[in-house]
Amino acid sequence: MKRLFFTVLVVMCSTAAHAEKIKAPIHIGIGVAQTSNVALFGEEQVNGAKVAEAVFNAKGGINGTPFKLVYQDTGGDEAGAINAFQNLINRDKVVGIVGPTLSQQAFSADPIANRAKVPVLAPSNTAKGIPQIGEYIGRVSAPISFIAPFAVKYALQENPKIKKVAILYAQNDAYSTSETGTFQESVKKQGLEIVTTQKFQTTDSDFTTQVTAVLGAKVDLAVISGLAADGGNLVKQLRQMGYKGLIVGGNGFNTANVFPVCGKYCEDLIVAQAYSPAVIDTNPMNKEFVTEFRKKHKKDPPQFAAQAFTAVQIYVEALKKVEVNTKNKITQLDLATVRTELNKAIRTGSYKTPLGEISLDKEGEINQKNFYVSRIKMEPNGKSGKFLNVK
Amino acid sequence: MAEFLNNYGFLIVTVVQQALLGMSLYYPLSAGQLSLASPGFYALGGYIAAIIGTAELFAPWRDLLGKAVFPLEWIIAGVASALLSLVIGLPALRLRGIYLALATIAFVQIVRVISLNLSITGGAIGIFGIPQLFESRWGYIWIFGPLLAATLLFTWRLEQGRIGRAFRAIREDELAAEAMGINPTRYKVQAFIIGGTLAGVVGAMSAPFLNTWNARQGTFDASIAYLAYVLIGGTRSLWGALLGAALLATLPEILRPLNDSRLIINGMVLVIVSIYLPQGIVGALARLRGAGKKKGVPAGGKT
Amino acid sequence: MTTAQFLQNLLNGISIGSVYAIFALGYTLVFSILGIINFAHGAVFTLGAYLTYAMAVGQFGINGLLSGLSIPVQLPFPVALLLGCILSGLVSVLIERLAFRPLRNRGGDALLALVSSLGVALVTVNAIQYFVGSEIYSFPPEIYGDIKPAITFSISESVVVIRTVQVIIFGVCMAVLVSLGFLIARTRFGKALRAVAENPATASLLGISVNRFILYTFFLSGFLGGLAGSLVGTSFGVAGPYFGVTYGLQGIAVIVLGGLGSIPGSVLGGIIIGLIEAFVPPDYSAYKEAVSFALLFLILMVRPQGLLGQSQIQKV
Repeated sequence: MKRLFFTVLVVMCSTAAHAEKIKAPIHIGIGVAQTSNVALFGEEQVNGAKVAEAVFNAKGGINGTPFKLVYQDTGGDEAGAINAFQNLINRDKVVGIVGPTLSQQAFSADPIANRAKVPVLAPSNTAKGIPQIGEYIGRVSAPISFIAPFAVKYALQENPKIKKVAILYAQNDAYSTSETGTFQESVKKQGLEIVTTQKFQTTDSDFTTQVTAVLGAKVDLAVISGLAADGGNLVKQLRQMGYKGLIVGGNGFNTANVFPVCGKYCEDLIVAQAYSPAVIDTNPMNKEFVTEFRKKHKKDPPQFAAQAFTAVQIYVEALKKVEVNTKNKITQLDLATVRTELNKAIRTGSYKTPLGEISLDKEGEINQKNFYVSRIKMEPNGKSGKFLNVK
Repeated sequence: MAEFLNNYGFLIVTVVQQALLGMSLYYPLSAGQLSLASPGFYALGGYIAAIIGTAELFAPWRDLLGKAVFPLEWIIAGVASALLSLVIGLPALRLRGIYLALATIAFVQIVRVISLNLSITGGAIGIFGIPQLFESRWGYIWIFGPLLAATLLFTWRLEQGRIGRAFRAIREDELAAEAMGINPTRYKVQAFIIGGTLAGVVGAMSAPFLNTWNARQGTFDASIAYLAYVLIGGTRSLWGALLGAALLATLPEILRPLNDSRLIINGMVLVIVSIYLPQGIVGALARLRGAGKKKGVPAGGKT
Repeated sequence: MTTAQFLQNLLNGISIGSVYAIFALGYTLVFSILGIINFAHGAVFTLGAYLTYAMAVGQFGINGLLSGLSIPVQLPFPVALLLGCILSGLVSVLIERLAFRPLRNRGGDALLALVSSLGVALVTVNAIQYFVGSEIYSFPPEIYGDIKPAITFSISESVVVIRTVQVIIFGVCMAVLVSLGFLIARTRFGKALRAVAENPATASLLGISVNRFILYTFFLSGFLGGLAGSLVGTSFGVAGPYFGVTYGLQGIAVIVLGGLGSIPGSVLGGIIIGLIEAFVPPDYSAYKEAVSFALLFLILMVRPQGLLGQSQIQKV
């Protein structure tokens, strides 16, 4: 209580800070879940962002002014996200925020940022309605509707005799419940029959009931929407218990984290990807990103890392645009102006990112052209593998 | 001042909100009942407010009432929670001690799973875009603050009166109280209903405060958090929940500069505080003040 | 439901149930001696899995303080498992000394032990993340030797399948249960333990050191928790520091069903909850958890002491 009182006193004594100029290094905020049970995704996002910080500062930052990433942990819940965002906005005085990790947190914290007129770029929110939260909210994570049909079409290419399909999804995960809807539509459009729909929880580890149902229905194709731990286990158990048909995994499988879970059973899993670390010949930015990431971590970057990298990249390039548009260095402008100009600049032009060439429309929704379908090929030791692009 | 509120406004309102949720647990506890049911009613209240605030079905109400739809949400949430408390409480309160706690844990889990599966509650994603009563988070102090003040006043009067005495009698010794002609079930259910209703109303107020509502708002972890507020603050005083919430809800935020080890330190503080302040903060303050008479607990003794 | 489906569900249920049983035993042991639920048990479960992994495989990922750590020496799996369990037991003892005993000594409210154990759980889980990050770690499939992944047999035209690792887990659980039963019922140690659980004051009058037996109980509880965690880890992977949370809650349902403080009750409760989970029709699998807790609520209404628990007599 006493500390609070003194803080009030001190703050009230300081002069109004609104018109102060931005000092170098320029602060970009990272508000992701570094703790809690979704920390796995937050960790990946942090790793991607850190690579971006190194790469772009080495290239001179924003026309010579360096930038710095400021981290505030959102934890796994909504109130934590609000607190983290407020810290980034008010205490750390960031020009823009990358985050949060979960869509539910975004629905809670993004309106706060929007009202404070601070741009937010979501690296991993895929639920419907995120960019529509406000004019300062955007995302680089493609909503699922684009990716799913490609994977289903490829499966049909592999086995044109597919008739019966099983749909399985993690019904306590916002991402998976949206994705499965698209998969189901896509399957029906191809004239296939969904003979069983199984639900599970992301916290489940035993899928014997679901697997038994799938085996009993004698399906040719299983389409799974889940995350690495649960999805990977489901695939492993399907294979261990004798399922021989094709398996298509949704975007949640697009991470090296599935390899330890399903091991050699991951083989030939078809995965729908919004990002592929293998596409380095046609995408120089991706090549640079993958190389730097491999140097630091000795493995391929997962999709979340690539998306976080992309978000930071967009901020850096947009900040450069702001300097051109306002004919001023960022350090000569005040915070409120930069935030608003940055928000405008983000939505102009296109960016050559590891995700391919992308742009944001005026609502902040991403326009992404490159999606991939991959097939997992495991090493003989069953420990690591690769996503091989097909199509 | 404005900057201070920008920085800390949300946190302060959160403390008040959490204190209220701690109070909702305090009522049954003051009658000797360990009920962990509050998050279930909190979730219910929040969903009611969220649904009334966003569903197509209620659009005419919203247009008709304007801002008055908010108090309506609170009232409906309160009534619904009261009814549900009655339905759950009557059978559950026949249980004692840890068994009651477990029954209430079960209730919270069932509410959570149901809300995760219904479409009206938005499933896993929940309900978002909830219309706001105030623009800034600090503005919500104008509803949570008065509610807390009213609750404290209500509690103080309750404890002075016949019902409060009955609660205390039941807490000290239920059999003796029954022998003296107090109907324990009636009072236990009353305490449970008061707690449940309070949690429901707070939930209804919190939905706009958090902008979104989903099945993650009423979990077992929340139950333990509220219990911790009351235990750490002091179970025998109506100020306990407020003091406990003030400490525990701000702790993770105060520890922010510690970054990675923040929650580790947080956990350690929980352990240390529960060991060294067994009578809670209120008890420790009373001891510091050297209060001569205490509520009959001899220092250091335990038969 | 055909015979094959019934049998399949039965097998599924028993295999999940046996893990719940082992896990719940950890709760039961502590409850029978101290009358409280140790919320740090889920964390010990998780820690046990990580410790066994560290000793059997030892390759850590890119996050956390020990990123990239690769332990040069690996132990054969059974040794690693045993050591992991022993270490978990020791950690449990440490938790007792740090979080429970001081409260007892100061005559604190028993409920404070809940908060204290929760604090410990928070510290443990976050410490794990701090050191080794949240990535998923898996045991290589050969740890159990060269075995087929699944056993199938046919009944009429349908096939019943069970994964071999589930059979192994069930076998280990049964072995542990039998040993524990023997320990409690037939040895002097077990008799002393039961005496302390029944009435600590009398037991200490009889010359039994109550504190020491509390330590033994916590060791056993931690050992079992670590065992359950490691077994689950080998079957499903160690999916981050929070993978013990669901078990923690289901475990509570199990012990209430079986009877708080009753060892055979935990086993029975575990199997029953496992069977319920397996028999819930696939369309309603989302409600699986709700079913266990609804059952829990019902049992509390009808027979609060659980199936095999002692009826609580209210002492005047």
